[in-house]
Amino acid sequence: MKKLFKYRRTGLIGSPYKILVLNIVAWVIGVLWITPFIGIFMTSIKPFREVVLHGWWTISPFTFTLKNYVDALFNPMFSLSRGILNSFIIAIPSTVIPVTVAALTAYGFARFSLPIKKYLFATILFLMAVPQQMTIIPIFFLLKNLSLLNTYLGLILVHSSWGIPWITFFLRNYFSLLPVELEEAARVDGATDFQVFRKVVLPLAIPGIISASVLQFAWVWNDFFFALMLIFDPDKMVVTQMLPRLKGQYQVDWGLLSSGSVIAMLAPLLVYAFFNKYYMSGFRGWAMKR
Amino acid sequence: MAKGVRMENIWKIFMPKVIALKNINVDIRPGEFFVILGPSGSGKTTLLRIIAGLEIPTRGRVVIGDQVVVDADKGVFVEPRDRNIGMVFQNWALYPHMTAYDNIAFPLRIKKLPREEIDKRVREVAEALGIAELLDRKPAHMSGGQQQRVAVARALVKQPDVLLLDEPFSNLDARIRVTAREFVKEIQKKLGITTILVTHDQADAFAVGDRVMVLRNGEMQQLGVPEELYGEPANVFIANFIGDPPMNIYKLSIDHPMVKQLGVLEEINEDYKEVYIGIRPDEAVALPLNEEGHLTGTVTIVEYVGSRRYAKLDLGNGISMRTLLECRADHGDRVRIRVYKLHIFAPDGKRIRTLTLVH
Repeated sequence: MKKLFKYRRTGLIGSPYKILVLNIVAWVIGVLWITPFIGIFMTSIKPFREVVLHGWWTISPFTFTLKNYVDALFNPMFSLSRGILNSFIIAIPSTVIPVTVAALTAYGFARFSLPIKKYLFATILFLMAVPQQMTIIPIFFLLKNLSLLNTYLGLILVHSSWGIPWITFFLRNYFSLLPVELEEAARVDGATDFQVFRKVVLPLAIPGIISASVLQFAWVWNDFFFALMLIFDPDKMVVTQMLPRLKGQYQVDWGLLSSGSVIAMLAPLLVYAFFNKYYMSGFRGWAMKR
Repeated sequence: MAKGVRMENIWKIFMPKVIALKNINVDIRPGEFFVILGPSGSGKTTLLRIIAGLEIPTRGRVVIGDQVVVDADKGVFVEPRDRNIGMVFQNWALYPHMTAYDNIAFPLRIKKLPREEIDKRVREVAEALGIAELLDRKPAHMSGGQQQRVAVARALVKQPDVLLLDEPFSNLDARIRVTAREFVKEIQKKLGITTILVTHDQADAFAVGDRVMVLRNGEMQQLGVPEELYGEPANVFIANFIGDPPMNIYKLSIDHPMVKQLGVLEEINEDYKEVYIGIRPDEAVALPLNEEGHLTGTVTIVEYVGSRRYAKLDLGNGISMRTLLECRADHGDRVRIRVYKLHIFAPDGKRIRTLTLVH
């Protein structure tokens, strides 16, 4: 495994011209990507007056203030801190459940033979292409009939089932990269199928599992549509639902809105940063197949 | 503890139409070091995997001790975990996330043995294989030879009835290879455990094997002790495959002068138009012209391999032969060739007989 990475890296280093081009491309994309974020961040630490009078990109006058953050977090009407808490309540189970289920499913797809495996897998991939908006009406009525509308559990179930297909796809590819001999060795050593999975496959697939979890967590956290459709009690709303409400009724408070956005971004950002190491190696492992 | 392994009418067909094994019948004796030898693609690893239970034969059955572990016709299949076998894989297949200790302890932990018992047995086997000081290292921090020992330890720690080795030496450097062979053979003899080794390397096979089976395209070619395979090859394939440098083999018509010179005709009872004649380089000598011999030739190349010299000779008629060189001949010199042993094969490749011309 290690050798392959090394080979790839020396391939990139190959010619200085290539490095230059790659660097330019990477920097351009990076700067474009981060520009809106910088704008929002600057707006969030300025007083409202300066934003309205001089625009959000001006460096002078520039007065540093944290008032926007304090206001956003403790807004008496729509408490952002309550939204963050709700987001965690939704996002954590909505990550753990689908990753667990999908890991088992993916292992089945990767290693066991069953009659219509190919078609089953193709169906899963195919249905992944269906947009959320097309499914929301049946989902809405389903949850209504189950009396799960406007509950944490309902939203968690919807997010979980939405996550299972792509995580299955992702992890199946990851599992099929692991050397089969290790699993065979474990079988000869006396392990049952489940022990093989738990003691050999799972520990080796940790980078892949973490990558999938991070992506799923960020996806659920950032989701607006499902939450908007399925949760309407202000006390249960997630942070992405709280944000537009910070806008205010009669005037747009840019400071409040941008500081709220920064706060809402914080959780997925921290998760990325914390698991960065695994996350990267998970993707490298995944990409290695081709 | 040691159990025999019996294979009866084993066929393996990979759909749609690759026939990996054709009707293999072998009876491996308890405590024997048995080697399956064959070129790549001969089905030798498939056979080993069938014994391990990682592959299911299309037809036939395997019996370990007196337990039928797989019977394709009756639908009997015992899972690998219930066969009590130890296996060492070609790339050793050590669990990369575990230390050597945890690797060796793995089969015992699966069996849920008490902690002290596990510890005792792991340390015992590690001591015996000389890897006691490596126990807290991970596989990535071990050399190939050390990894192999850990893999052998993991296979042995559960005291298996049968030990299976899949090309265990092929990933080792030439020098470590020799020591590894000795070490595996020693361990096997000390424990008296039935061992089946798969290899494509005849040096490995002859060094460790009590008996050797040669496979080619899924068919058994010959089964015997190493001396038999070398001294009385069953067919042209074995004659060609075994021995280094390889045997000189010629397909000659019955009235070829060489056939007469070597006195082959008197030894063949049946009426063939052609025969194969095989002469091992080590069983023929190039001597000065005034010595007695069967053939004459001209030296084209002299090869020095350390303990002896070989000469490549041109015998005329487009026939060239490699023999031992025991005189001061050089390129272009005429020499007399004395043939000690001669292998005769029928046109279909089957052995007719082996002649000893000179004692």
